[in-house]
Amino acid sequence: MKVVLTLIKRNIKLFFKDKGMFLTALITPAILLVLYATFLSNVYRDSFTMNFPQGIPVPEDIIDGLVGGQLISSLLAVSCITVAFCSNFLMVQDRANGTIKDLRIAPISTSVLSLSYYVATLISTLLICFTATVICLVYVAAIGWYMSALDVLLLFLDVIILVFFGTALSSLINFFLSTQGQISAVGTIISAGYGFICGAYMPISSFSDGLQKVISFLPGTYGTSLFRNHAMDGALKALGEEGIPNEVIDGLRDAVDCNIYFFDTKVEPYVMYIVLFVSIALLVGGYILLNVFRKKDK
Amino acid sequence: MKNIIEINHLSKSFGEVKAVQDLSFRVKEGELFAFLGVNGAGKSTTINIMCAQLTKDSGSIVIDGYDLDKNVDGIKRELGVVFQNSVLDGALSVYDNLQSRAALYGIIGDEFKSRLDELSELLDFKDLLKRSVSKLSGGQRRRIDIARALLHKPKILVLDEPTTGLDPQTRKILWNVISDLRKNEQMTVFLTTHYMEEAAEADFVVIIDSGKISAEGTPLELKNTYTGDFITVYGIDEATVKKFGYEYEPIRDAYRVSVPNTKAATELIIKYPEVFVDYEITKGKMDDVFLSVTGKKLVGGTEK
Repeated sequence: MKVVLTLIKRNIKLFFKDKGMFLTALITPAILLVLYATFLSNVYRDSFTMNFPQGIPVPEDIIDGLVGGQLISSLLAVSCITVAFCSNFLMVQDRANGTIKDLRIAPISTSVLSLSYYVATLISTLLICFTATVICLVYVAAIGWYMSALDVLLLFLDVIILVFFGTALSSLINFFLSTQGQISAVGTIISAGYGFICGAYMPISSFSDGLQKVISFLPGTYGTSLFRNHAMDGALKALGEEGIPNEVIDGLRDAVDCNIYFFDTKVEPYVMYIVLFVSIALLVGGYILLNVFRKKDK
Repeated sequence: MKNIIEINHLSKSFGEVKAVQDLSFRVKEGELFAFLGVNGAGKSTTINIMCAQLTKDSGSIVIDGYDLDKNVDGIKRELGVVFQNSVLDGALSVYDNLQSRAALYGIIGDEFKSRLDELSELLDFKDLLKRSVSKLSGGQRRRIDIARALLHKPKILVLDEPTTGLDPQTRKILWNVISDLRKNEQMTVFLTTHYMEEAAEADFVVIIDSGKISAEGTPLELKNTYTGDFITVYGIDEATVKKFGYEYEPIRDAYRVSVPNTKAATELIIKYPEVFVDYEITKGKMDDVFLSVTGKKLVGGTEK
């Protein structure tokens, strides 16, 4: 046990001390912030106000709360995955620079090494994402707070679940990588691509029907939707209290991916949790099997 | 002296490439064993199999009584390995690196601190403990590599080209440390090197070429078998040297005559006592042995 703990400590320290890996992890959230600061927030603000019936005044801070909720849900949905990938690249880096030989030369099993990478990634990613969540909540509080205590709790739960998912996914994918070039390639694909396919940059509802159907098979989609629900539900309810008709609010829920449809069936939040839990279990199971059947020789 | 490493009929192929072919040799406890060969000869493959980093196709390896097929962990505890390239974590301090590696052998807390004190004294790196490994010079880093390999007090120290790229002074310091370890702790040293003068200090040498043993023996045996002697004669003219009937080459202020062995050198001196007033006899060097055995020169590991 002490060996695992020491290795976990080593892996976490390395991740935070390696500025390259740490900053790479923050690229996607940074892109998202820039996009929101430059134009996305205005696009969403306009799309929200455009849908409100004329004659019903909507307080500005509710709209700010909606835009802020969308921003933080996107940020967290992306960060939980991309930070996990970057943190888990340590496993690949150890292979690429030969450090793994130095670890395997000791009388410890490969499962101890694999476990240490998994747990270290989990802790590093949770640390960063919890910090990000707190910053996000402070931001929302500053611009328009409509979240309940339960929403905040569920938001933290979503972070934990998505971090578990991101860690499991990255462990499985990184298992097959062994060079710096592959790290760069996968890092770039994940950083650039995940924001799109999880609906962080643009809502999934704005994609074509075919693409929406494909995306509905990806578990990360449901993670984004959970974040949206818990970050925006308060503001959406506040709209109802201001007299905005339920049909309009439902339309907004569809538009911002609070409602996700698997083909034509609306996926309830509890099903989203089940999808994520099952995905995590499958990915972790796959990772364990890969380690069990790993051949020493290449 | 008992055999601490016994390798029998070891073979390993990577696809069509036969990296190691029916390799058998012994290493005695406490000796400095040199394992020579150009890059790709099979040295690293053999070491990687010994350290359980690679599986073998056939053959057996017994290290300090532990059979590789039955007790890998036992073998890993007996081996300390200094890899060709430093594999420590550059971003972490020397202390953090050694602490994490010591824990792999269950050495933690006070036990680790006590061992660290011993090693930092032995290898003189007390003042480097807080420094990041990436900020160390090549020689400093090598000392930490050796400390890492010695953390768990292994019986065998495997040095895979440990002094490549180091300046002569640092090489000398490292060899003094290794020499002390052998004397004080009866440590067996398994060395691969490109520096023939280091191999010349070994107790036993195995030269491999294309995965097979080409020659083995003590440096003296190898020199006697694969090279002749050289007599350097000062203060004579070329006409006199020609009379000897052996190959020769002029050097700055003398002639260097190649003779098959020391006996032939003695006979020559007895035959021409008036000529041999100022002279010296030297054995062939390990470079000559290597060249004679493999037909290749070992320069920085590359074939010439």
